[in-house]
Amino acid sequence: MAFQILLNFFIASVWMFMSSSMNARTFIVGYLIGFLLIFMMRRFFKQRLYIERLWATIKLTLLFFKELTLSNISVLLLVLRPNLNIQPMIFALPTDLEHDWEITLLASLITLTPGTIVLYVSDDQRTLYIHAIDVDDVDDAIDSIKNSFEKAIKEVSRP
Amino acid sequence: MKTNDVILQTTTKVVFFIIFLFSIHIFFAGHYSPGGGFVGGLLTTGAIVLLLLAFDLKTVQKALPFNFTIMTGIGLLLALGTASGSIFFDVPFFTHAFSHFNLPLFGETSLHTAMIFDAGVYLVVVGAAITMIQTIGGDT
Repeated sequence: MAFQILLNFFIASVWMFMSSSMNARTFIVGYLIGFLLIFMMRRFFKQRLYIERLWATIKLTLLFFKELTLSNISVLLLVLRPNLNIQPMIFALPTDLEHDWEITLLASLITLTPGTIVLYVSDDQRTLYIHAIDVDDVDDAIDSIKNSFEKAIKEVSRP
Repeated sequence: MKTNDVILQTTTKVVFFIIFLFSIHIFFAGHYSPGGGFVGGLLTTGAIVLLLLAFDLKTVQKALPFNFTIMTGIGLLLALGTASGSIFFDVPFFTHAFSHFNLPLFGETSLHTAMIFDAGVYLVVVGAAITMIQTIGGDT
């Protein structure tokens, strides 16, 4: 991915030298031409096109905003409820993310959505301990996190 | 009891650069807007302290192999040299000089010898603060 972006910048710079005008407009035109060339040659790269990972990042951001809104509304309904029959719980979430930044991103996303807080990351980085404010079914909560955030992060980090 | 600090360390690796960049910006902004050598030096110290909190003393000393005591001395020499440079031009002590230069990359830039004095202040602040923190935090 980094190699493809560097190649795209290199093509844009060569285009600037060819047309012998050093301004931003020429660079952007060269960048678009370079992207077209890289798109034509996509079979020769071992990894995905970087635009796909960029798209996955944008989708992850949109998913985060959606989850943030929905969970804020649910916590607001919990607070406004006259009788407090909630079931707080600490449960272990098994994860198979590998890199440090993936774990950090997952923990930040879980903590930033209200109602769930990451308390601790185990030493082998295979388990996250999460406190949730209202859990009916533990497997349900684990599945919802796994299917939303973890799947999106894996989609971003897949080479 | 050693805990797993993966979240703190990964976040520190990103945030450190942002704080350091902002400290450089504050250092250069001291002439017409708030900022200057002292605040910039304290912000740089804050970035290094964040590193010290996330990692340990030995790792940071290996990563930044500066002798901070000598850095304080260099800062004082810079400030004193800027002040005593005015003696050679037959003007009162601490008289600053400034003029406009045409630099190749920045274009028309106004350069002022007060910036060298500020760099001395910056080095003194960083050196003194980190020396204090390392001395208090060290095991010896």
